[in-house]
Amino acid sequence: MPQDPEAVTISFDRNTTELDALQRAAYAVADLMTVDIRAAAEDYVCTLFPIRAGLDSDELKHRIRAEIIDQGLRLRIARETEPIRNLIFALAFSQTGLADGGDAEE
Amino acid sequence: MTDLKLLRSATALPASSWQLLPMRFHRFDPDSVLLTNLVGEHVFVSPDQLLAVVDGTCDDQELLARLRARHLIQRPGDRLPAELLAIKLRTRLRHLPDSTGLHIFVLTLRCEHTCRYCQVSRQSAAKSEFDMSQETAGRALALAFRSPSPHLKLEFQGGEPLLNFPLLRWTVEEAKRINEDHGKDLAFVIATNLALLDDDILGFCAKEDVYLSTSLDGPADLHNFNRRRPGQDSWQKTVAGIRKVQERLGTDRVSALMTTTEASLDRAHDIIDTYAELGLRNVFLRPISPYGFAVRPRGGAGYDVDRWLRFYETGLDYIIDLNRNGLPMAESYASIVARKMFSNEDPGYVDLMSPAGMGLGALVYNYDGDVYASDEGRMLAEMHDDTFRLGHVETSSYEEIMLSEKLLQPVQESFTLSAPMCNSCAFEPYCGADPVFHHATAGDFLGHKATSAFCRRNMGVFKVLLRRARDDEFARDLLWRWAQR
Repeated sequence: MPQDPEAVTISFDRNTTELDALQRAAYAVADLMTVDIRAAAEDYVCTLFPIRAGLDSDELKHRIRAEIIDQGLRLRIARETEPIRNLIFALAFSQTGLADGGDAEE
Repeated sequence: MTDLKLLRSATALPASSWQLLPMRFHRFDPDSVLLTNLVGEHVFVSPDQLLAVVDGTCDDQELLARLRARHLIQRPGDRLPAELLAIKLRTRLRHLPDSTGLHIFVLTLRCEHTCRYCQVSRQSAAKSEFDMSQETAGRALALAFRSPSPHLKLEFQGGEPLLNFPLLRWTVEEAKRINEDHGKDLAFVIATNLALLDDDILGFCAKEDVYLSTSLDGPADLHNFNRRRPGQDSWQKTVAGIRKVQERLGTDRVSALMTTTEASLDRAHDIIDTYAELGLRNVFLRPISPYGFAVRPRGGAGYDVDRWLRFYETGLDYIIDLNRNGLPMAESYASIVARKMFSNEDPGYVDLMSPAGMGLGALVYNYDGDVYASDEGRMLAEMHDDTFRLGHVETSSYEEIMLSEKLLQPVQESFTLSAPMCNSCAFEPYCGADPVFHHATAGDFLGHKATSAFCRRNMGVFKVLLRRARDDEFARDLLWRWAQR
């Protein structure tokens, strides 16, 4: 890992944090930082690289923590609602002819 | 009161007795979270309430009732919410099979204006080699009438399209002749600076039911600073033209839109007052587009999204206050977004469609016969980037144009229901995909939403509108009225 005096490291417990949530959070905060994610024995170790000088390291940590929690919640809601989401889309398109290439409803 | 209590008790949801329906959230304020359902109906809750609802521990029956009413939760076994959401979703997307309602004919690149933000390579008014030919217009019409849409709007642009008025007249008459076999709902719009408007053209517009759309950047000094022509009298010509159209054809037959330059940013009230004084009831507070000449140092685009949002918010609040004081006016972008927020109808606005509106919502026929997926795609071609050139009216069939990889790839890659960050964004039902903008500014069709100016600008507008609707009863009613227009 190249040394960057501005970089800060923060760890997340692998038992309570999903890698998917970490990756989504890293994507969402790209306006402030880039994130290196490495899996250790018990933790995911994230190194935060601010994209410009002058960004406060505590602020970056708060931002990534909050983002990971939100992304985790989004994943949980998405998993819980996936069957009904698929049902709604199936219902919506089943009578349009778009799904089967047939004619639109008469 | 007893009846009400009984009713409430009969519909009460014990803890963990509800199912979540698809929902997305956005932390709106420190103490407020926006929840939206699949079709954009929304509720504000507190952060704790969100967690309690997701955890199944919420015992606030009033909140649970609101969430059920908005199809954000349901009781196990309920069938109606899924069916209603499906109907609403289908209604919002029902225009998809009827693709391409807008066909833009670039009749000439000639123009007698030299606007500082003009995105196209205008040519001097004498160079007729930059005019569309009748043969090209005829082939473009043949393609336009292949579109499945039952509504066709033909918009004439330039340059200044009135510099090629004989072809404009022929195209309208020919479209009407062709339409005798198609029976489509035809509409015509001329996007013109009105400087060349005369009685002959007015008479033609009256006879053929043609609408006029013009550019008006605000008061005379601002307009003439942005929109230069010999004599520095663009504003005077435009205003005289607007008045002529209003008198001869009616007030609803001419509309105007403005482009925000750096010089506009502190003039929101002046701009809106100019529109009000002219009896124009719609103002479109448009940011400058980051294409072509507009991004030159003197092009007027030297401001960021946050600065434009402050301008927009100032203008919107002023328009709301004018309405509060009895003067009916509307902001066009807010009206488009309000329709997406507060109705199940999609306004079909090309920049806020997903799948993207390029090609599916609009096609552009350039003066030389090249076909583009959008007007901005044509502007990029003027800067030697032909990414969005789909074909040519002479050599490409309708099928080749509409099934071109150059159209399908950007539409697929930018689809918001699968795009990273968009697919989990609470504002997705109000927003759209703009692969042309992201290609121009980020180098790919999707862009990165964390850094996208398109995303930042639109989220800013959505938040302003939702905040007004939440906190100001008069503004909420006004937005609802705009949504139903």
